[in-house]
Amino acid sequence: MKFSTATATVADPYLDISTYEADADLMVLNLGPQHPSTHGVFRIKLYLDGEVIVKAVPYPGFLHRGVEKLCEKLTYTMMTPIIDKNDYLSPMMNEQAINMAFEDLHGSAVPRRAKYLRTIFAELQRVASHLVWLGTFGVDLGGALGGGTTLFMHCFREREMILDLFEEVTGCRFHYNTHMVGGNRHDIPAKWAKGVHRVIGVIAERIDEYEILLTSNKMFVDRTKGVGVIDAELALSLGITGPILRAAGVDHDLRRDAPYHAYDEVDVRVAVETAGDCQARAIVRILEMRESLRIVGELIDNVPEGPINGYRPTKTPLQVKITKGQGYACLEGPRGELGTYVIAGGDNRGASPYRLKIRSPSLHAMSCLPYVLPGLTVSDTIATFGSLDPVMGEVDR
Amino acid sequence: MNIWLHGAIYSVLIANVLLTMTAWSIWFERKFSARMQSRVGPTIVGPMGLLQPIADAIKLLQKESIVPDKADRALFNLAPLLTLLFSLGIAAVVPFSPEVIAADLDVGVIFILAMGGMMVFPVWIAGWASNNKYALLGGMRAVAQGISYEIPLVLAALVPVTLAGSMSLSDIVRHQIEHGWYIFWPPGPGLFAFVLFFVASLAEANRIPFDIPEAESELVAGVTTEYTGMKFGLFYLAEYLHTLISAAVGAALFLGGWDGPFAPGLHWMVLKTLLLFGLVFWVRWTLIRIRIDQLMSLCWTWLVPAGLVLVMAAALWKWGMAGS
Amino acid sequence: MIGVVHDERVVSLLRDRFEVAGFPDDAPPLVGAAHHLALARALRDELQFRLFGFVVASHWPGKPAKKEGESGVAEAFELAYGLRSIGKGSGLAVWRLCLAAGEHAPSLVELFAGADWQEREQFDLVGVRFKGHPDLRRLMMPEDWEGFPLRRDYPINTPCPPWR
Repeated sequence: MKFSTATATVADPYLDISTYEADADLMVLNLGPQHPSTHGVFRIKLYLDGEVIVKAVPYPGFLHRGVEKLCEKLTYTMMTPIIDKNDYLSPMMNEQAINMAFEDLHGSAVPRRAKYLRTIFAELQRVASHLVWLGTFGVDLGGALGGGTTLFMHCFREREMILDLFEEVTGCRFHYNTHMVGGNRHDIPAKWAKGVHRVIGVIAERIDEYEILLTSNKMFVDRTKGVGVIDAELALSLGITGPILRAAGVDHDLRRDAPYHAYDEVDVRVAVETAGDCQARAIVRILEMRESLRIVGELIDNVPEGPINGYRPTKTPLQVKITKGQGYACLEGPRGELGTYVIAGGDNRGASPYRLKIRSPSLHAMSCLPYVLPGLTVSDTIATFGSLDPVMGEVDR
Repeated sequence: MNIWLHGAIYSVLIANVLLTMTAWSIWFERKFSARMQSRVGPTIVGPMGLLQPIADAIKLLQKESIVPDKADRALFNLAPLLTLLFSLGIAAVVPFSPEVIAADLDVGVIFILAMGGMMVFPVWIAGWASNNKYALLGGMRAVAQGISYEIPLVLAALVPVTLAGSMSLSDIVRHQIEHGWYIFWPPGPGLFAFVLFFVASLAEANRIPFDIPEAESELVAGVTTEYTGMKFGLFYLAEYLHTLISAAVGAALFLGGWDGPFAPGLHWMVLKTLLLFGLVFWVRWTLIRIRIDQLMSLCWTWLVPAGLVLVMAAALWKWGMAGS
Repeated sequence: MIGVVHDERVVSLLRDRFEVAGFPDDAPPLVGAAHHLALARALRDELQFRLFGFVVASHWPGKPAKKEGESGVAEAFELAYGLRSIGKGSGLAVWRLCLAAGEHAPSLVELFAGADWQEREQFDLVGVRFKGHPDLRRLMMPEDWEGFPLRRDYPINTPCPPWR
């Protein structure tokens, strides 16, 4: 296993600030909950020596909505629209993660057509999520009134095409509630594959332009190369997965290593970079977008016929009762390993879980901030934070 | 005409026209950036959205003017006025046409550079007086950037001065009418000096890629974080005005001022100014911002030596031409 | 992919060195609290489970004795830990700890930096304390919040105190 050779300066998150140089006049700056670039409400308390950060203390929890407690009162079938809003940029992944756990515990098998559909939706959702990331990364780097916004508008233009595809299937542009225990709720319409091929063609062409931007535009390269290096050891120890881990040189992707849905029927080529800096993370995401489009193109023509839902209800409304068991199921989301730990046997005579925990990749990514930020300037902080691609709904739940 | 009367009439006229143009540059920017981003821009207020600046001005005027509790009240209120004052001051010596010039100073170029240098003060004052760490950081960066980039600006402006042999802007324009615009002739020093002037003006006016002092995504609104209502409006008006005036100065110094193929006059000057102004916006909506240390190293390692070389090249050219 | 232990090496490790007898097929195996740290260390260093997975705490409130002569059920907390190995055949090692009320769980911070925040979150929401954690304070809830929201007896509609 080849790991990164990047030299990351891993700081001590528990640095006692009073032992810092006595004559340094440290300024405390709150990259406060209200800030254009914290991707939601997130507070980082920065101790600055001039422009350089000495210590960073993050304070998550501003978007904590008590989703896990709420899910103890909802039934398995009612939970999907709430969980949609965790990682609100990739709702398909959230739905699939929890339903996978419920299906394993319940013992219901997902039909093959539903597995293909889930894979296609997941990959399209990955592209849409990475497009949002790219647009907001541009805004972080370039300012809301400037070149960053141009990149943002272009990325969102492409994303609208994907959302239109999802609207044809589920009726919702966003937050779909299309997965259920045992399969999917909505089937794809007849001409959908043609639309998908057209969208794949357009976006693949534009992804080439974005890659050129990240690798050849001197300003992008200067702002992202060598900035915010997270090395493999730190990432593994913190539990960071996804593009951040792959950019650090670790070849790990759940789609290939622990396949679920229909990933065992496609060849997933995993993008790995070794530098571990912002540029590496950006390039990994661009390559992932390309790979996702390729997987969708391969699968969309071969979707097998059959039912999309294996579990037939015996009475309405649809009730799934699981009386005992506990376990964990996970998938590879755009931000990393998104998992669900369920302890069954809760209220409503087993129709609710006893305890539901969402293993959110963004929370692990945020926990690297005290280690990585010291030594960077404020501008680099914004670039690093943007390149970690956090979604606060998932960090705080 | 009495020089005082001439100066008074034309300064009022120029100031009014410039301020109106600056207000409509808001419309221009929004339409231009929208088209660059596959959007449409303002279309609702007035035909083609032309009355948008009036809507924006009314919106800003009716906002509450909040002064933070511990802010230095006098300086806080003074800063936006000073930015506007210095920007308009530069316009006093720019020759828009042979007659339309408020004050044809012998030391026009020095006057422009001095007023441009003074622009650092109000930005720093705003950063300090706001009693806000974000504003302070923005102010510090603005001072570093403003002072550093004055040097390449001065060096770039020295090239037309050397070639024309005079610091008066009208003389520089007249010399270009006789000998050809400096951007084309002499080849080499003229074009590179123009590029240097353009880059340094972007940095002086805090435009992207050099808009660190008001880096919105990092420092909320940087120097202008605590400003509300029309004071905020004045800052942005002053920034557009500074950009417009720099474009006019660049047109006068390098593009031949009011010279043109058919009928030399005011319209050519306006056209060239608008051309350079549009170029600034084009750069703004395409590029991202560079980091403060990269900005400093760009200035001191590349632009200043380039400026020195260009001034020497211009001097050599002038000496060579004078000899022949 | 449910998180019961499928990996042969993990099963033999648990059975031989850490005295785990029961491997139910619908729950992760239960490990004694005394073995917890050593197990995590063995998994990380010997079997290369180096990617930190998750920590889940759950609250099992006690039930008082219903009849005379019968003892009720004591209040207990359960912690489930997950670690992952990387590369082909990425394995997942999941195990559970059972703690009595007031008992402290050993913290994994010295082995995995990710345990820092995850254990803080479980302390914040369920109230399980971790021995050896350098900075055990609330993560999600405000610092001065009282009570542990994800406990089973915590009412879901507890009002939030008004802004001070």
